[in-house]
Amino acid sequence: MPEGILCNKTPIKTDEQLKLTLSDSRGTKYYAEMLELEVDSDALWALVQKTLKSRTKTWLEICAHCGLCAESCFLYQVNGRTPKQVPSYKIQSTLGQIVKKKGKVTNEFMRHCMDVAWSQCTCCNRCGMYCPHGIDMGVMFSYLRGLLYSQGFVPWELKIGSGMHRVYRAQMDVTTEDWVETCEWMAEETEEEWPGLEIPVDKQDADIMYTCNAREPKHYPEDVAEAAILFHVAGENWTVPSEGWEQTSLSMFAGDWECCKDNVQNVYDAIERLNPKRAIGTECGHAHRATVIEGPYWTGRPDGLPPRPYIHYVEWLAEALRTGKLKIDPAKRIKEPVTLQDSCNYVRNQGLKDITREIISYIVEPGFFVEMSPNKEHNYCCGGGGGFNGIGMYREQRNVALRKKMDQILDTGCKLVIAPCHNCWDAIRDLEEEYEIGIRWSFLKPLVIGMLDVPEHMLPKDEE
Amino acid sequence: MFKKILLATTGSPASFGAARVAFDMAKRYGSEVTIFHVLGVPTKAFSQVVNDVRTGEEVEVDAEYISWVEEELKTTYAKQFAGAENAKIVITTGAPHREILREARNQDSDLIVMGASSGDNVKYHRGYPGSTLQKVAKAARCPVLTVHRESASYWGGFSSILFGTDFSKQAASAFKFALNTARELDCVLTIFHALDISGKVLDQTQIEENLIVARKRIRETYVPLMGDFKNFDIEVWEGAPYVEIVKLAREKQVDLIVMAHHTRELDAEKAKIGSTVEQVIVRANCPVVSVSKPDKV
Ligand code: SF4
Ligand code: SF4
Ligand code: SF4
Repeated sequence: MPEGILCNKTPIKTDEQLKLTLSDSRGTKYYAEMLELEVDSDALWALVQKTLKSRTKTWLEICAHCGLCAESCFLYQVNGRTPKQVPSYKIQSTLGQIVKKKGKVTNEFMRHCMDVAWSQCTCCNRCGMYCPHGIDMGVMFSYLRGLLYSQGFVPWELKIGSGMHRVYRAQMDVTTEDWVETCEWMAEETEEEWPGLEIPVDKQDADIMYTCNAREPKHYPEDVAEAAILFHVAGENWTVPSEGWEQTSLSMFAGDWECCKDNVQNVYDAIERLNPKRAIGTECGHAHRATVIEGPYWTGRPDGLPPRPYIHYVEWLAEALRTGKLKIDPAKRIKEPVTLQDSCNYVRNQGLKDITREIISYIVEPGFFVEMSPNKEHNYCCGGGGGFNGIGMYREQRNVALRKKMDQILDTGCKLVIAPCHNCWDAIRDLEEEYEIGIRWSFLKPLVIGMLDVPEHMLPKDEE
Repeated sequence: MFKKILLATTGSPASFGAARVAFDMAKRYGSEVTIFHVLGVPTKAFSQVVNDVRTGEEVEVDAEYISWVEEELKTTYAKQFAGAENAKIVITTGAPHREILREARNQDSDLIVMGASSGDNVKYHRGYPGSTLQKVAKAARCPVLTVHRESASYWGGFSSILFGTDFSKQAASAFKFALNTARELDCVLTIFHALDISGKVLDQTQIEENLIVARKRIRETYVPLMGDFKNFDIEVWEGAPYVEIVKLAREKQVDLIVMAHHTRELDAEKAKIGSTVEQVIVRANCPVVSVSKPDKV
């Protein structure tokens, strides 16, 4: 059987195919079909020739096999320092072989590559900082994932994830109607406590266009409400687009390049259509990487920038606190040891490390902030990045991966972890469920709302 | 009045009392009942794995699992189903309080019925966790009826209603609901205010004076709203409000307590301590309705 009904080289493009794939419990049938999936070596080699850029080629060639990158990888550390987890080994034995063999590889080999690409690297880009040649496995693994995806060797959940982006333009089945309806719902629910609060949809020429992560309207719409509260209190002129509001990109982690481009374009179109002064994304790390850092290249924007300045939530929040648009009541600042999870996706990929600490300086009583060690651009992945969190087949490996973060948190002695990135938040929640170390974790928005010094006129008048 | 009832249930014994009340009401008042069950929060947004709300264990949500849960719910409520014409089961995944609110909004429900559990398991309760109840009660546009114990003294029909007031804005909505229910179901309505003296040092004359003021306030606030409805009485006691409400309810053998829910605190840990409603729910011998919005009363 060259291609299966569920496991094949064609991306999921229809609702029907999506539902069919979803209904395959645990991907049992999908993975069974994968055993038979034929590798189209010619197509694979053609793709490599077309897409293997000189940087990656050079990296593959110049790696000195010195192993200096070994300790940099948290997966190497938590997996008993097995040589199999040395970054250079991981890439040379997979991508390196595909290139060397000019695409003439077996089904078994491709499945092995899939295991390595999705369960032995979270694309956290940490190793790149420690290699004397600057070789970055995170980048190379993203590339390898693309090759694997094109041949149908991709974990079931991520095939679905990118399929959802293609079908719904959101990582979950949130339609435009669902999204707009959620905004209305949240405005209704929140306006009582915050008189005058609105969630304006498709407003032209606003100062801010806000975009988020589909997980919010789907399961945690209060996140949308919280963003609205903070914009409201800060007196911002803002809007959300009815289309192009979802900025995450599971397609990025699935290796579905075509879909990556499409999604980001959808967000950029919304910017062009509504003409805001700037765009602000939610706290999600990978969403930011996709729409702001990588997106411009995917869509071929000549200046390498989104159509308008597009900042991460922490940048807006710091600015609002700095300029006094949002005021913190000093009495309500955090007065317990608290630590911060630096998200690889905006710390290593964009250097947003000091700005998060600036926020900390406003919301935490001096003396209570405890840094993880290492931190900032040297921080480790939460343990669930790059799609790892969501792949059932690699649950065990993911749980092992969480141990690094667990140790880092335990070492701080803090019971409270600020985790602005949605995926880090999820990983830390799972970490608590798995290892029960007695911690709490939070996004920035609810924390800040809880300590706002709200001007009298903004409070509801009624109560006794 | 109760055309559409949303019974939010975990299917566990802790919610049997709630189910009984919901079905009894449905039969008596010809309501539609939706048995609504949230399987759990997907462990990852796009994954099919949820932490089952009943067991706390990870399960893969697929058609098979859903139909299994559906069967189980049907068996659990077989007796009730037998007489209920308008009952259906809806199963979904997500954060329980959000999904309950979402469904109530979608269906434009008139009443949400929930089981309550006071358990101290922080992660997942056998009933719905206290924080779920808190959040639903706070944001729901319709009244939320909670039954904490299977033994709650509701035997099919309400004949005596206790309305506890703290004179807040929300209490006005709760009163409207209490009055309409009393009217419609032909019940005695007791309007009650407990003078909160917990943590205060007041001498007896001060207390007496305050009691008189409160009584007067009830008269002025609520009596003009009742029109020709005469089947009511007024009580004002001093003490810790939740204790006094529960005591009075017992003494009068009321079948339903109506209160406003207006805690602004969303942090379940903090809210729990402050919430009179929650204390009443846990201790009362009858169902408790909390009202926080004026919409569906
Ligand atoms: S540190 Fe760099 S050169 Fe050395 S093995 Fe690792 S990737 Fe290769
Ligand atoms: S990118 Fe991160 S996970 Fe991947 S090999 Fe490098 S350090 Fe390890
Ligand atoms: S989830 Fe957070 S920590 Fe983990 S890889 Fe992504 S950004 Fe980094």
